[in-house]
Amino acid sequence: MKKRYPVLLALSLAITLLSACSTGQGAKSAAGDDGKGASGKVTIEFWAAPNPTQQAFWQEMAKAYEAENGNVKINVSAIKESPSSEASIQAAIAGGSAPTISENINRGFAAQLANSKALVPLETLPGYDEVLSSRHMKDTIEPWKFADGHQYVLPIYSNAMLFGWRSDILQELGYAEPPKTYSEVLELTGKLKAKYPDKYLWAKADLADPTAWKRWFDFFMLYNAASGGNKFVEGSSFIGDEKAGVATLQFLDDLRQAKGLLAQNVTDPFETGVSVFTDLGPWTFTNWAEKFPEMKYGENFTLSMPPVPDGLDPGASKTFADTKGLVIYASASKEQQEAAMNFIKWVYSSPENDAKWFEQTKLPPARDDLSTNESFKAILDASPELKPYAENVPNAVPPMDNPKFNELQTFIGQEALNKVVRGEIDPQTGWSNLKKAIEGELQ
Amino acid sequence: MVGSNRNRKIRLSVRYAIAVVLLLVMVYPYLYMVLNSLADWSQVDRKLIPDAFTLKSYQWLFLGGETGVTRPWIGSFLNSIVVSLLSTALMMAFGVMVAYALSKLRFRGRDTVNNFILFHMFFPAIILLIPSFLIVQKLGWYDTYWALIIPKGVSLWAVFMYTNFFKAVPDAFIEAAKLDGARDFQILYKIMLPMSKSITSVIFLFLLMERWTELLWDMIMVRSDHMLTLNVLLSQMFGPYGTYPGPLYAGSVLLSLPIIILFILFGKKFQEGMQFTLK
Amino acid sequence: MNQNNPRLGWLFTSPYLIYSLVFFLGPLIWSFYLAFTNWDLIAPTYEFVGFDNFLKALKSPGVQSAFWVTYKFMIVFVPLVIVMSMAVAVLVHGLPKFRSVFLIGFFLPYLSSGVVSSLIVKGFLSYNSPLNETLRRLGVDINWLGSPWAALLVVGAIMAWKFTGYYALILTSGLAGIDKEVYEAAAIDGVSNRQRFWKITLPLMYPAIYTTLILAFGVTFGIFTEVYQLTGGGPNYATNTWQMEIFSQAFKNLQAGYASAIALLASLATFISIFIIRKLLEVWGKRNGWV
Repeated sequence: MKKRYPVLLALSLAITLLSACSTGQGAKSAAGDDGKGASGKVTIEFWAAPNPTQQAFWQEMAKAYEAENGNVKINVSAIKESPSSEASIQAAIAGGSAPTISENINRGFAAQLANSKALVPLETLPGYDEVLSSRHMKDTIEPWKFADGHQYVLPIYSNAMLFGWRSDILQELGYAEPPKTYSEVLELTGKLKAKYPDKYLWAKADLADPTAWKRWFDFFMLYNAASGGNKFVEGSSFIGDEKAGVATLQFLDDLRQAKGLLAQNVTDPFETGVSVFTDLGPWTFTNWAEKFPEMKYGENFTLSMPPVPDGLDPGASKTFADTKGLVIYASASKEQQEAAMNFIKWVYSSPENDAKWFEQTKLPPARDDLSTNESFKAILDASPELKPYAENVPNAVPPMDNPKFNELQTFIGQEALNKVVRGEIDPQTGWSNLKKAIEGELQ
Repeated sequence: MVGSNRNRKIRLSVRYAIAVVLLLVMVYPYLYMVLNSLADWSQVDRKLIPDAFTLKSYQWLFLGGETGVTRPWIGSFLNSIVVSLLSTALMMAFGVMVAYALSKLRFRGRDTVNNFILFHMFFPAIILLIPSFLIVQKLGWYDTYWALIIPKGVSLWAVFMYTNFFKAVPDAFIEAAKLDGARDFQILYKIMLPMSKSITSVIFLFLLMERWTELLWDMIMVRSDHMLTLNVLLSQMFGPYGTYPGPLYAGSVLLSLPIIILFILFGKKFQEGMQFTLK
Repeated sequence: MNQNNPRLGWLFTSPYLIYSLVFFLGPLIWSFYLAFTNWDLIAPTYEFVGFDNFLKALKSPGVQSAFWVTYKFMIVFVPLVIVMSMAVAVLVHGLPKFRSVFLIGFFLPYLSSGVVSSLIVKGFLSYNSPLNETLRRLGVDINWLGSPWAALLVVGAIMAWKFTGYYALILTSGLAGIDKEVYEAAAIDGVSNRQRFWKITLPLMYPAIYTTLILAFGVTFGIFTEVYQLTGGGPNYATNTWQMEIFSQAFKNLQAGYASAIALLASLATFISIFIIRKLLEVWGKRNGWV
């Protein structure tokens, strides 16, 4: 009995050391990474956006595809959105177990991933051209070409981000339609505060939060409108329009001074009428159908493009284009990559699936024939609140495609916007600091 | 004399009243959580004590909402149970073994090990976060149960507690058992463990509770839906696509209830053990 | 009268030894190594950058705030939790019946997950919560999680809520150790209540209070969950703890090298602080002749 102790000890030590030395290989086999089971079935892992409707769509597609193709198994799951879906994907890559394919990828993040060689150029996979032609996206894909000439992302949807207004409260204040310029908005804020001191124009805790992606839904919406669609960062240089940037920050500062901004946690501020104005994505409508069925387009809320500085034409307002797509990861096996592409080809071979997507997620598909194809027209006619989102796609500027987008957009909040909203800095200084920080990072 | 007796009684009832009120204040957050999980969605976080109730939050949790997409609540609940129990079991077993060696076995190097453990114990653990993640990845444990169980399988605190306890056990017991022909393993299981029942329940509850509510480690080490622990899943549910506070409270109930029930069941033992360990 | 049994000794300690090799010494050395690189956790290659990471860290507002936030949390949390747990301990100690029922009740918050308590607090403190609506009616309007000190206070209060019952348990056992006769003798000598507390209770309770204080100070170096869930370290770094900063740099910004350098600085700060705090507490005890 006693003799066995040292043997046991040595054995357990040996096992530990052995497994410590088998660098990385363990991770792959643990994740079943060559993707082939004993039966020759290819398993691919699909990461869907954390938005439940998107996840539901991909689950349905995966099931239908599996039914037709017995040799492929598709596991659909949602990307963890805490701290952010981008960070979750990076951590998985660092952990040596990225998925095969995922959606919800913006251009900047794709550039970042491509830089660290984590993505497959899609045009190198058979079937890519067929997707482009069968989905009618030759024009849509054009601006998605990366600096190295490759295509890493297949855009799925593109929608103009709009602002929502509580038209019922606006009416009480004597407005038949939303204000369109900064001074009109400020005037409305004054009237609102006079009548309801507890209400705010815009109530949003995110205004004080430096997290990078949050700037898409406040700063870039207003800035794009103020600058007429200036790109902010092009290639590796900062080309921000100072006048527009300062005007945007000044607008927020004026709103703050008029007590029109509430940068703290509020439970459903727009829906409960604490605020009369909010950035609104079409995904919200599914959430409302479940939680706030009383929210009706034309009755108590309406939509508009971002307000513009005085003296600009509100009719030419621009906004931010929320547009995201699919990528396939380089760490997946060749078989998995090809299976993933085949799946995509199958999904987009019929416009019906895109129609289904549009209907379920409310996100306008990124295709050239969105406004001409009958199957999409029917959906737009049935839900008029989606129309402005689709119509304004040409007026919407896509996010920056700089691989450092995360750091850069964090600076916008940290150096300027968050501080202005808290009243710690004046707009001009905020803009200068932001510019300095961004230029420093881009060098 | 009668007067002072009545005074004493009044003072005592005031004391009880204060204690009860204070206790209610302290457990009110739990109450708030349970009430909100059952409240009508229009009242969640809007009323101190809701008056319209529904099971919709729980339905949403387990059956999904409009979209019918369910998050893996049940799976992650089971993950939490498996991971917490196995981790805790390892921590307890290793704690007892190491403590026995350090307190009752004499071998060259024992003091070195002892000092090393103290050094390790007072070392700030954050410094190890990144390399631990990398080691887990190199071992091929990323996104597996191994990553959640093994690196969390040793508790220095448990070693420390058991060592102190075992030191207090007179050697005579062990000598007597030795004479009866007992081996060390038997001594450990038949003598030391039964003697340390009360301290064991304390250590067990503390370790289990800490493992059950761990966030940072479990969040970093795992990425797949089917591997999440309940605490991590819950933390993921604050999102940009519309939050659902009702179901979040329902999820919180699911997370809090088991550990509270366990504690109340063990409460008496635990308290005895605490008094003992603190002496 | 321990038995000399080296083989069994090493066998029984082997789980710990292997563990500390793989999950303590290994990571420790690796951490030092990483701190001098610019590795991003993903890229196949990296460079050595000397002390650049440390210099960058010392200059960064995130790291500077993490350094100070720890002590700010001490100022908020430690007195709060000590007063609360002392109050609970004294209160419960004076109850002739149901003492353990109360102690168990007060201990329940300790079992809460930080995720759950954050969720509750977030809802409870939102702008249109019943609490804030009532406060506004009284003319008080506080942006709880949006103003630096309020956010610090909120997180400190959550921690105090969680630990009160636990520390009260430690303190009651200290109270239980005091002989009734000591008090009776004091009563005969005509000692006032206040004197009784300072001259008898406190000295006899010193070991229990010392333990509690050390535990409470220790807690402030490891705050993560509540901050991560509630404030993300904000507003403007007001609640950015060491853990939060390291997590953000490593797993949000993927700067493994830089984050390792911060972790080393954090450990250094923690080590020195804990050492000083222990020494001060011991000196305090010795000065008053309690030890």
